[in-house]
Amino acid sequence: MWDNAELMRRLCAKLVIALALVLAAGAPARAATVPPTPLVAVELLSETGSVRPGETFWIALRQQITPGWHTYWGVNPGDAGEPTRIEWALPAGFTAGEISWPYPSRISAGIAMSYGYEAEVVLPIPVTVSRDVTPGTTVALRGQASWLVCEKICIPEEAPVALSLPVSADTPRPDPVGAPLIGAARRRLPVPSPWPASFSATPETVTLTVATRDLAPERVAEVWFYPAKWGAIEHAAPQRVSLAPDRITLEVKRGQLAEATAAPIDGILIVTERLDGGVARQAFALRAEPRSSVSALALAHAIALALAGGLVLNLMPCVLPVLSVKTLALVNHAGGRAVVRRHGFAYAFGVLASFAVVAGALLALRAGGEQIGWGFQLQSPVVVTLLADVLFTVALSLSGVFVVSGRFASAGQSLAGRAGYAGSFFTGALATVAATPCTAPFMGAAVGYAVTQPWPTALLIFEALALGLALPFLLLTLIPAWRRFLPRPGRWMERLQQALAFPLYASVAWLLWVVSQQAGSSGVAAAMAGLVLIGLAAWLYQVSREARASWRRVATAAVAMLALGAVALGPVTSGGSSAPPTTRADGWEAFSTARLAELRAAGRPVFVNVTAAWCLTCLVNERVALRSPAVAEALARKSVATLKADWTKRDPAITRVLGSFGRNGVPLYLLYPGHAAGEPEVLPQILSEGAVIDALGKL
Amino acid sequence: MSDLSRRAFLAGAGLVVVAKSSLAIPSVAWSAPKTGVAAPVFTATDTGGKAVSLGDQHGKIVVLEWTNHDCPYVRKHYDTGNMQALQKEATRQGVVWLTIISSAPGTQGYVNPREADELTTTRKAAPTAVLLDPTGVVGKMYGATNTPHMYVIDKAGTLMYAGAIDDRPTTRRGDVQGAHNYVREALQAVAAGQPVKMPVTRAYGCTVKYA
Repeated sequence: MWDNAELMRRLCAKLVIALALVLAAGAPARAATVPPTPLVAVELLSETGSVRPGETFWIALRQQITPGWHTYWGVNPGDAGEPTRIEWALPAGFTAGEISWPYPSRISAGIAMSYGYEAEVVLPIPVTVSRDVTPGTTVALRGQASWLVCEKICIPEEAPVALSLPVSADTPRPDPVGAPLIGAARRRLPVPSPWPASFSATPETVTLTVATRDLAPERVAEVWFYPAKWGAIEHAAPQRVSLAPDRITLEVKRGQLAEATAAPIDGILIVTERLDGGVARQAFALRAEPRSSVSALALAHAIALALAGGLVLNLMPCVLPVLSVKTLALVNHAGGRAVVRRHGFAYAFGVLASFAVVAGALLALRAGGEQIGWGFQLQSPVVVTLLADVLFTVALSLSGVFVVSGRFASAGQSLAGRAGYAGSFFTGALATVAATPCTAPFMGAAVGYAVTQPWPTALLIFEALALGLALPFLLLTLIPAWRRFLPRPGRWMERLQQALAFPLYASVAWLLWVVSQQAGSSGVAAAMAGLVLIGLAAWLYQVSREARASWRRVATAAVAMLALGAVALGPVTSGGSSAPPTTRADGWEAFSTARLAELRAAGRPVFVNVTAAWCLTCLVNERVALRSPAVAEALARKSVATLKADWTKRDPAITRVLGSFGRNGVPLYLLYPGHAAGEPEVLPQILSEGAVIDALGKL
Repeated sequence: MSDLSRRAFLAGAGLVVVAKSSLAIPSVAWSAPKTGVAAPVFTATDTGGKAVSLGDQHGKIVVLEWTNHDCPYVRKHYDTGNMQALQKEATRQGVVWLTIISSAPGTQGYVNPREADELTTTRKAAPTAVLLDPTGVVGKMYGATNTPHMYVIDKAGTLMYAGAIDDRPTTRRGDVQGAHNYVREALQAVAAGQPVKMPVTRAYGCTVKYA
């Protein structure tokens, strides 16, 4: 039966062409302008066979278009034309969203370019069912569809459309005709571009640069940019594209609207790739920022942000214990100013050098095409385990289990395992390592900007961050007057030192939990075995100090063996795995670009939480803001869908999402409004309950 | 992103590909004139067979109107009397109104001189002249992409406005009422010697049926 209908449609289409040809050939020009109508057959499809009260489901307007003719893209029809519309007459309590426009193709008419659809298009529309409909009844969705259909000439057409669906409380079944067609149409919706884009303009041209990360130029058959608005670029002009693995550059004639290049240019970039079995076409929705403003905002701003971020890092719970102990050492060093100063420099050098190492590794790996970001080292359970080992060792030392240098048993000198300037240097390194799980305010934007820059600029920004971290302690050593504010030495120092061990033990416990997220229980077992070995080594070291020299040598060898054993246990943790479940126990659904697009197209507001188990800031935010009953209630009231993008382990897709918001690390909080065209609001990196509720209130 | 294409993108990851490739689509060179500079000077034949040149209009404000009488967007403005009203209002104040037809022979909107005059009479239109541009030379000189596509040139021959007739890009006749008419606004500004607030807008309508 369906086949028959299809046959009829084809026959009709052929008839139309034949008729048009006859008219065009035989009659004068005037007569040829009145082709038979309708040129477009329309029908409404539903993705499901029934509807449930209160739910949002998908319908679509299907247009079957006479060959040679086209209808228009709703975002920007091009130099001529007009998008398809539907005026709805829905039952009470029903709402229909905007049409989600699948990506179009180009239809050239000399100096004018149209963006539209040929042959057939399915235009998805989300519809929300009234809560008050009764299961067992039938609802009818009615509307008047109107569209412009053009070939060489244009004809406005319209037709009533209707769809009847049963109401049922059961889970809806997919409609055998509608579901595959609507599913296919949704796959043609543009996805948010994972790549940052910018443009520069001359009086004649606009050059768009898209910072891709993983493009294979030899596979790319075509790239075309479809602007969302008329005016910035000339639609019909050729687009000169050059491709490199890390960048797409597209030069095109500038459009007629001079002021259009003062604002960001929105549009979709369609990349056609040659695959073994044919071609794959992908549409990315992107926003290109004006380049002049990018570089102006740029460096000075990013450096200032990085410096501020580094300063605040000193107050973060991971860094504070390490630094407090170091500061205590200053109290004892009331003497030689030069010595104190040199300690300050050694410490600052330690911070700057280790930042250079971590940032250098990050940039080198990114240049190699790896999708990683700031904090990437903590995505490896091996590194997390080793960090736990180091913090545990320091904590044992603070607790007094062992003292590295018996003769200089002061708090500061025992820290970081070594006396003297090397000790200060390593304290700096330790502060850097301990700081990675924490994200200070201002840091996100600075680091996100840094990784899009050439490496010398990027390194400069990372070093500004390092300088910010090193600065408070450095100043304390450089300006003796400030040290007067430090309390006098006394027995309290020993007590404080012992007390400060506990935040470190807490950090170790937390890192073990991170390992459990990354590598499961076998990973935790290996990491804890390593900690036992460290404990044994510390005890053995300390007791052997009072023994005879020969025994001491044996003990030192044993300590070295045990420490090596603990380190060797690190890689064992990488063996395990823990796949994240799709729906998480805490009610947050796992993030995917497809799921986000689906929810947005359905007209639902979406809160995206990009987080990682090793990100302390993220965990604090979740605890104080996101999981509070008031926020949960506000989320439910606005029926906000919640997606959690977990970056605990490496995930290139999430790295791209971060990149598209100019970020390179977690946390990132995005609140998408309900209407599909709206831009998401980026929430601050330090969340409060009030800030989240305010943002939700604005929806 | 679909799995298929992600795989394709990732296939290139890690490889350092030095080769650059370049893609370009060739097309005929053309250029839309800029507002604020001299309008391109042209000569075309009117329905009476007389040559009309822009150069001869010095000292007068000139409106160029690209048209195609069968285009639904043009019909919206003629069937409602909107275009004729604007023509009368402008010509009464001494503005030279040139209606230009760039449809190639055999395409929609192409007319011979007699048919063009008939249209003017039956539609009660009031242009200063109707110019026939079947080769599209004048249309392409102005980058006219649509019908209607409107241009306003001041007394010194400077192009002051290029774009749509108004801000309602539809074929609905009801939209004429209450629309913001850019051409009327431009004419008032030019007559008063003031800058045009929106010198360029997105023209809407059918494509011009060039050969």
